[in-house]
Amino acid sequence: MLATEEAVEQMWGVTLDKLYDSEEGRRILSCIQCGTCVGTCPHGEYMDYPPRRIITMLKAGLIDEVLASDSMVMCVNCYACQTKCPRNIRLTEILLPIVKEQSLLQLETMPAELQKAIENTFRYGNYMGESARKRTQWTKTSKIPVRILSEDPRPVDALWLVESDLSYHPRGQDVARATVQIFDAIGADFAILGNEERSAGDCGRLSWEPGLSETLIDYTLSILKKYTYNRIIVSDPHALDALNFRYPMFGFSDTVEATVSFVHRHLDMLRPRLTKTLKYRVTYHDSCCLGRHNKLYDEPRELLLAIPGIELREMVHTRENSICCGGGGGGMWLDTYYKAKGMERLSDRRLREALATGADVLAIACPYELSRFEDAVKVAGAENRIVVRDIMELLVESFGDN
Amino acid sequence: MKENGEIRIGFYICHCGVNIASVIDVERIAAYAATLPGVVVSRHYKYMCSDPGQELLGSDIREHKLNRIVVAACSPLLHEHTFRKATENAGLNPYFMHMVNIREHGSWVHEDKELATGKAQDMIRAAIRRVRFHEPLEKKRVPVLQDVLVIGGGIAGIHASLTLANAGKHVILVEREPTIGGHMAQFDKTFPTLDCAACILTPKMTSVKDHPNITLWSYSEVVKIDGSVGNYTVTVKRKPRYVNEELCVGCMECIEACIYKEGKWPDEFNVGLSKRKPIYIPFPQAVPPVPVIDPEHCVHVKTGKCRDTCVAICGDRNAIDFTQKETLTDIKVGAIVVATGFDIFDATQIPYYGYGKYRNVYTALEAERLINASGPTGGELLLPDGHKPESIAIVHCVGSRDVHYNRWCSRVCCMYSLKLAHLIKERTGAEIYNFYIDMRAPGKSMEEFYNRVSEEGVHLIRGRVADITPQALPEGSDQGGYLGKLVVQAEDTLIGRVRKIPVDMVILAVGLVPQKDAEEVRRMLNISCSTGGFFLERHPKLAPVNTFTDGIFLAGACQGPKDIPDSVAQAGAAAAEALALIDAGSVEIEPNTAYIIEEDCSGCKSCIPLCPYTAISFDEAKKKAVINEALCKGCGTCVAACPSGSIRQHLFEDEEIFSEIDGLLTYA
Ligand SMILES: Cc1cc2nc3c(=O)[nH]c(=O)nc-3n(C[C@H](O)[C@H](O)[C@H](O)COP(=O)(O)OP(=O)(O)OC[C@H]3O[C@@H](n4cnc5c(N)ncnc54)[C@H](O)[C@@H]3O)c2cc1C
Ligand code: SF4
Ligand code: SF4
Repeated sequence: MLATEEAVEQMWGVTLDKLYDSEEGRRILSCIQCGTCVGTCPHGEYMDYPPRRIITMLKAGLIDEVLASDSMVMCVNCYACQTKCPRNIRLTEILLPIVKEQSLLQLETMPAELQKAIENTFRYGNYMGESARKRTQWTKTSKIPVRILSEDPRPVDALWLVESDLSYHPRGQDVARATVQIFDAIGADFAILGNEERSAGDCGRLSWEPGLSETLIDYTLSILKKYTYNRIIVSDPHALDALNFRYPMFGFSDTVEATVSFVHRHLDMLRPRLTKTLKYRVTYHDSCCLGRHNKLYDEPRELLLAIPGIELREMVHTRENSICCGGGGGGMWLDTYYKAKGMERLSDRRLREALATGADVLAIACPYELSRFEDAVKVAGAENRIVVRDIMELLVESFGDN
Repeated sequence: MKENGEIRIGFYICHCGVNIASVIDVERIAAYAATLPGVVVSRHYKYMCSDPGQELLGSDIREHKLNRIVVAACSPLLHEHTFRKATENAGLNPYFMHMVNIREHGSWVHEDKELATGKAQDMIRAAIRRVRFHEPLEKKRVPVLQDVLVIGGGIAGIHASLTLANAGKHVILVEREPTIGGHMAQFDKTFPTLDCAACILTPKMTSVKDHPNITLWSYSEVVKIDGSVGNYTVTVKRKPRYVNEELCVGCMECIEACIYKEGKWPDEFNVGLSKRKPIYIPFPQAVPPVPVIDPEHCVHVKTGKCRDTCVAICGDRNAIDFTQKETLTDIKVGAIVVATGFDIFDATQIPYYGYGKYRNVYTALEAERLINASGPTGGELLLPDGHKPESIAIVHCVGSRDVHYNRWCSRVCCMYSLKLAHLIKERTGAEIYNFYIDMRAPGKSMEEFYNRVSEEGVHLIRGRVADITPQALPEGSDQGGYLGKLVVQAEDTLIGRVRKIPVDMVILAVGLVPQKDAEEVRRMLNISCSTGGFFLERHPKLAPVNTFTDGIFLAGACQGPKDIPDSVAQAGAAAAEALALIDAGSVEIEPNTAYIIEEDCSGCKSCIPLCPYTAISFDEAKKKAVINEALCKGCGTCVAACPSGSIRQHLFEDEEIFSEIDGLLTYA
């Protein structure tokens, strides 16, 4: 079930001792200890205190033991537990982030990669530690010129938040350039913030570094205020989540749309360009934030099916039962930590499911997945069998006149 | 209308122990009422409803020649009858008594004593003014029709029908399917005693068929209901069976002889697990034991061109009758028992259980058919590829106790899951894993049954199943139709570990939900539904088989999930309530009905469509509207709507209402 703004609002910034002060929080008391959350959690079997036990320990007054464990460091914010909970308890939205934040503070040593990512984001506005000035470099090689608001501040219809992966990561930049071609094909009036942009503070990061996320939100809001636009388009589902569920608590009420739904809305304008047949067997990986949390299941699939020749194959876990790529909730920077615990990388597990479909393309719509799955393909030595492509890239590939 | 003769009013205010007196100053009110015009006696008393209270009222009437009474006390729902009776016993027409509710509308809902007393004073003044205009009225009785309609021929409907019929009442049992029996007929054995379902059910089905007092209309549906308690007119649609029930001898040779040598269409009774021909009988012991022809697939019905081998073999028995048409028949009954049962939860709604995707995931109802000797496999539990399963998971609570699907506990699934575990283990020796959240075994012999199945070595795992996936999907294969081992994943909450158990077969213990057409049936019957969609009883404890519509009673799972023992008990209760109603021979109707001042009626007919009880008709000869007192419920809709003001209502005459309003608005 989708979180209502009201529900999240009730719980924003709530601490453990105030948990039951709101209706949403009190719902935790209705837990029937069925274990669905644990059974469905992709890391459930490794946690000493998975969601169900957190609730019993909390009720028994033993929560300190939970906070002293690293169980919640393993939570990848995938919303799987919350989605299946028969009592609709706001686990991923409310309870787990509180526990997560506290247990991170108590960790003896902060995992190094994670530490670095947080510091970089704080200093440079992106987790890679890249210079802010290089943010728009990708536009230089774009076939279509991209308007940058700081240079040309005229009002615009769609303000596109590119986010860090698409701005800096080489493969992400491919996706960014493809997205521009799509926007152009559907006649979108769009512009980007350019070097002024910083990470929007995705919900995963928000969960364990509220201070940092508030700084980022304040910053982003102050930049957005300078410009006039009708809607914000986001390509990063984590940023979409942040804008949909966290920003409203800071007085933000703009129209926000994921790139896939924006393009999907203009599919009729795009269709005439999709003339090149792509004889691919494609399997689509539902991103947790896009799918489970924002219920965008059909739009990405319909975009893929608009490409002539594409055959869509579903993995065993699909749509609301999809499995996380392991990148959410900080998982992006915890691979080493997880490996030391003997845990399998979720992207490796998920890739096996993709391969099992016999697909030759793994389609994605989230920038984290791009790097995670491409790495998994290498690890599996499956480079000859499958490639990872963003939906936008596939759409552009189908342009007959490209 | 005018007041007749000298008005002598007796006023009584009740303390109701402290219920009223602790908030409302009863002494002050009694003193105040004494000052009002027409009031001859004014008293307060601790319990007006007690014997001495009623006696007080009676002796005052006699001694002071009172001709109007006002009692300020509790809700008329509770004691209007008491005080009318007391008034009548003292020789006064009971409708000269009027009640004012100063408890539910006063002391119970207000805290400020001064204001509450003031409000009571206003209400009393209004009543004292109104009662002057009261007229003597007579209660009417209307005869009750002696036949009873039972809708639905599951175990509940069967039991209710037999009980009523044994008491000498004529019952019309209307069943939608070609046979009676309901869900129970599909089961193999029944918990907790493990009696064979057919062995205990079919004798009752046969009794229905043979009972001289029961008219069984199978393959039929109720489409319209008019009238009210004691006098219902019901329209029943009878679908053509194309086999004459009177002439058929039940030899089934026609089914053999059909031009289709093999079954071709999903067999409804076997929940689609086998195929049937266009002419078929649901199961060997079906009642009536008469085949039915499915018009969608019968070549004769569809094209008129068939070799008609069925007709040929039937020969001069002449039972096959392609000229049958759908008919609508009106029947008249005094009471109705609704026993339309339940439907099972649609398991395809839960994507992560793989129902409809993996072929070895079954619902419990399918499993019942698979282990039933009259089922598609002759009672041998086999996978679609003919293999015997060696390990089976039974998933409890499918679609129940879940805010995303149904909030309620379906009450029977834990027990039928244990039953299936026992039966399957006994017959196949397979390892059985029951995944449950809480084991619910209330009721007689249920916990003992749980104990027994536990000792048989069924694996009982406490944890709700979170995921079901193929163990090894051959690369590139289509998941639809997957038949290999499935991995059932759940947290075993008692040991705190996630378990992934590979099994050959999964059985989903689907919950009980209202019938798909429950909402339409509800509307047709003018009864209510509870939030989940099951029919609503008048009172969960004190009137569990009554509805808010007099003369309509509930039996079985249509009122909420329940097992066979409870369905039968409720069916007996519903039959007893229906008997109590019709054996009384007549029902009293309140005299507060609407009536027409004929000379004023312009014959505009505006009132006719407005009446929710279809009590108004039109006299074509006189060109005037006519109200049937027996049907009128006194709702007043027509009274308010009549443009010429020619409809009035007993006990709610204009003078009564206006003087009451005056009384309320005249501050003392
Ligand atoms: C898989 C499974 C196993 C079970 N096993 C057991 C068990 O072992 N022991 C036990 O005690 N209980 C068991 N139960 C519960 C049992 O099925 C119910 O208690 C029982 O069937 C209720 O009887 P009923 O007559 O109220 O409803 P149903 O059995 O549902 O009968 C209702 C009848 O009404 C007819 N009908 C419906 N709508 C209309 C209409 N509009 N007009 C005319 N006719 C209509 C239907 O066709 C049907 O014949 C089990 C339930 C399930 C799902
Ligand atoms: S799924 Fe929900 S109800 Fe079940 S144990 Fe987890 S939190 Fe509690
Ligand atoms: S959000 Fe995902 S990873 Fe976190 S506890 Fe829930 S199921 Fe596990």
